Amino acid sequence: MSSNSKNAVSTTDKDAVEGDGDLHYVPYGAEKESPYLPAIRQLISRDLSEPYSIYVYRYFLYQWGDLCFMALDDHNNLIGVIVCKLEPHRGGPMRGYIAMLATRSEHRGRGIATQLVKRAVDKMIEKDADEIALETEVDNYPSLRIYENLGFLRTKRLHRYYLNGNTAFRLILYLKPGIPQRPTYPPEYPAMQQDPYLPSQGAAVPGQGLMGEDLVARQAAQMKIEDVYAETFDVKGEAARQDW
Amino acid sequence: MPQDGLPEATHELAVKGDEADGSLATAARRLAQEAKQALSFGARGVSDVTEEFAAAAKQLRPGQLVKDEYFTLFEAVGALEIMDPKMDSGYVPPGDTFDADFDVCRGLEAIEIIWIIDELLCLEIAWHDGYPLSQTVFTSLHIDRLLSPDNRKPYTFLYGEVPGVELSDEQQLVHTVLRAYCLGLIKCIQLPLHIVQSQNFYEEEDFVTHLFGQELLEKLKTDDVAKALDDALRCVRNVHLPADVAEAIEARLWFRRQYLAVLLGESSDWSNLITRHEKANSSHELAKPLPAAFSDKVQRQLATSTPPRPMLEVSWTHAYKKWTKLCADMVEADRLTSVWICQSPHCLQRATWAFAYREPQPGTFARAYLQDRLLGSDMIAEDVSHFDLLLTDIRDLVLAGDPLADPASFQIEVPTDPRHLCSRHIGSFMDKAFEEYLNLYRMVCQNRCRIRRTFTQTIPILDSLETVAKETDEELHRISSQRSLPGPEGTPVRLNPLTSWTRYHKISIMAKSIQLGFETDIYLPDELCAMYWLLGTYSLTQSSGLKHIERFLLDRMKTLTKARNSRYVAETLASQDWIRSLVLLWETTRLLAVALANLCGTLMDLDVISPPARSYAQERLLWDARMKPYMTLVHDPVPSIDEFHRTRQGTGDLSTACEAVDQGIKTAKQHLAEVKKMSPQQAKYLGTEEQWARELKQLETTCVALVVQTSQLMKISEKHGKKEARKGDSMREVVEVSLPEPAKRYHLWWVVPQISERKRS
Repeated sequence: MSSNSKNAVSTTDKDAVEGDGDLHYVPYGAEKESPYLPAIRQLISRDLSEPYSIYVYRYFLYQWGDLCFMALDDHNNLIGVIVCKLEPHRGGPMRGYIAMLATRSEHRGRGIATQLVKRAVDKMIEKDADEIALETEVDNYPSLRIYENLGFLRTKRLHRYYLNGNTAFRLILYLKPGIPQRPTYPPEYPAMQQDPYLPSQGAAVPGQGLMGEDLVARQAAQMKIEDVYAETFDVKGEAARQDW
Repeated sequence: MPQDGLPEATHELAVKGDEADGSLATAARRLAQEAKQALSFGARGVSDVTEEFAAAAKQLRPGQLVKDEYFTLFEAVGALEIMDPKMDSGYVPPGDTFDADFDVCRGLEAIEIIWIIDELLCLEIAWHDGYPLSQTVFTSLHIDRLLSPDNRKPYTFLYGEVPGVELSDEQQLVHTVLRAYCLGLIKCIQLPLHIVQSQNFYEEEDFVTHLFGQELLEKLKTDDVAKALDDALRCVRNVHLPADVAEAIEARLWFRRQYLAVLLGESSDWSNLITRHEKANSSHELAKPLPAAFSDKVQRQLATSTPPRPMLEVSWTHAYKKWTKLCADMVEADRLTSVWICQSPHCLQRATWAFAYREPQPGTFARAYLQDRLLGSDMIAEDVSHFDLLLTDIRDLVLAGDPLADPASFQIEVPTDPRHLCSRHIGSFMDKAFEEYLNLYRMVCQNRCRIRRTFTQTIPILDSLETVAKETDEELHRISSQRSLPGPEGTPVRLNPLTSWTRYHKISIMAKSIQLGFETDIYLPDELCAMYWLLGTYSLTQSSGLKHIERFLLDRMKTLTKARNSRYVAETLASQDWIRSLVLLWETTRLLAVALANLCGTLMDLDVISPPARSYAQERLLWDARMKPYMTLVHDPVPSIDEFHRTRQGTGDLSTACEAVDQGIKTAKQHLAEVKKMSPQQAKYLGTEEQWARELKQLETTCVALVVQTSQLMKISEKHGKKEARKGDSMREVVEVSLPEPAKRYHLWWVVPQISERKRS
């Protein structure tokens, strides 16, 4: 296992694209409210129709600040950023998740995003990740190319994953053997209001279908930040009720 | 009064708790106290906590996240920044009014009514198309008024007050006609919503069920709505309107009335609905726009944390097409579940696939409607229960002409009769298979991305069902010795009917999961070879399994002819035809898959298709990731990457490989020609004749295309003296390849590489 990570790390070093001499890459680090936060927020929300609240950024940066990397120019202007998390996936493998990745448009095509991803992946490997997942739009070819060149595979197509109606691919990179055999458990979301952010109004539809979990997933998906797109075969939530 | 009632109730709880458990009692007492305090809030008056709050907030560093361990990302995502116009749907910009400035009670011109109705039709179909009600139907101020929590039965624009009798024509048009139309519309939202939500599977990504805290006039009966629509029709005749305008409004009211009737199951005439809608369409140009009757300001009062979104703009032409499509889908759903198709499980399975592959794919409501027709009760047709369907499936595939699984055997009650004993075991197996079997139909009622994903989840379940089937087959053999025939290696083998049946369905799903992978474009060019190879492997398993069944069927036929059991003979003959058609189709799949694996493999050997750099990946882990859905199978373990490499080794040089592709395709075409001759009864495609013919045509075209591409490859290689090129000889400089995206393929499941000579620049 550790040899895996070593291999991967050394490959990265070898492949590192030079020529961005004027850029330097730094981790966000342990600082909770870094002076870069507004810039990060601004850079990421540029591509979004509906912005994330500040809490979303804090959620990631407060807990996984070491998995966030920034590309800065000579004057310490933010040129690119990657935001990630790392935690057990449904009680199973330790899953790294790339939540946000953005570079300033005038700097694109220089391999900055690849450098950011590599740094995040290396850090996740160092922190003993089993796998790394993410989603990206099916027609975002530059993004697909970056990840696929690093070794990610498309494992699922997620129809209308984003609230803007766009479809996504789920991409995954295994870092250790035996992941498919590792058991996972369905998430324990109780039957939930459709709009998960409201206190219960009592009138939840007597329902079935993809209720709470999927809605949450969709809300999260709209924000492009969570890998919880409901995969439950049993969408009635019976699985959660049974003892798994 | 609830405010007084609650503390009392908790007090009671505390008393009861005292007898049972002290700590419970303490908790209940505390709760009661807290409730009392909370409820007496009003009495204590309001106090300003701004300063205390500010002081408390100063204790925290900026950005400090205070959360317990259960605080999830979802909650973080759900947070809003109040007064941010892009997040806070309740935000009112300076100078703007909170409510829309439009009086829904005022009388309107008839042509304005037409416009409102048509706009509602546009918004309603947009909802079916996946947009939330908040952006569509709920933006109508008339609808909003009827749904207002202050409104009450009989739900009028005057908050439940019935308008007086002295109404002008224009007022009548609003208070009688438009109101009735809106009531009808609300019920036509409620009923599809119910159909969608009562299915086991539906997709939230395709359809927004959220009501934003509104209720859809739960207390109003559909009869009352129908009556209101009838009154409205009478009203249109009584007010003084030009003939064409009156007709236009009537057509719209009739559409609503008819739509309500089909939703209520009072009628099944969806095609009549199309006619009604056509009438509305032909008079649309009469409409006089009244945009003020709609406003996205209603979102300010809807219960949601979704950011404010503009009201949707849908063109009438677009909406009209969508409505026509919806009705046509419904007509087809009815047709594909007609009694004569439902008699045969395999015709029905083809029918569900045919429905899923209508272009464009039917929407959520239509798919839920089909699901409801299939699985809404425990009967699939008037005289066919789901249990019968399953039994017929087993019988058609593996036990035709056998007393085992004969429905008559299930009627025998003599406990010692082996037929009774066997039926009990088969029945018990069927109980275990039941849900998963019905899922074979249910899963196909999803969007196609989801079909693939639910398939991958069902594979391990079917694999464990195979274990149960094996055990049951053993039991059956123990009770009544089953016939054995010499197997391929000379050792005697038994049919093991239930194992064979389960395996057939399992391998079908496995193969389809791979094929849907091609359709959903999840394989990169360098993965095509392995995935087609795997598909070829599973297809071989399938056709071998079918041939195994076929041998026993032929053997059974010999016995039956002697015994002159004509019913069994007819059954067996029918099964023979059908198994024959399956063997031909699976062999075609296998040959096509092997040919494509060969061609893609060759293109990789020659460096024409090359993998991405993949600096972090390891070959074995990539295999693991790709094979994940099949990785945990016990009965058909996924082939290892080494096995894959081994089979790729003996493929020889370029011309040998192209030769092999051509040979395989030649045989595949013969199979297709043979299967084409089979009747709908023989190959069980009753009711889906058109789709069947189209599918075969597409497969034939794929075969032709494949041969064209290999000959193209040969031609280029000859020109460059590379006919004998083999692994390691790069032809990158002379050959280039493009892989058609799904929409540009002859068949969604078959990616035929387009080969051309690389032009030197």
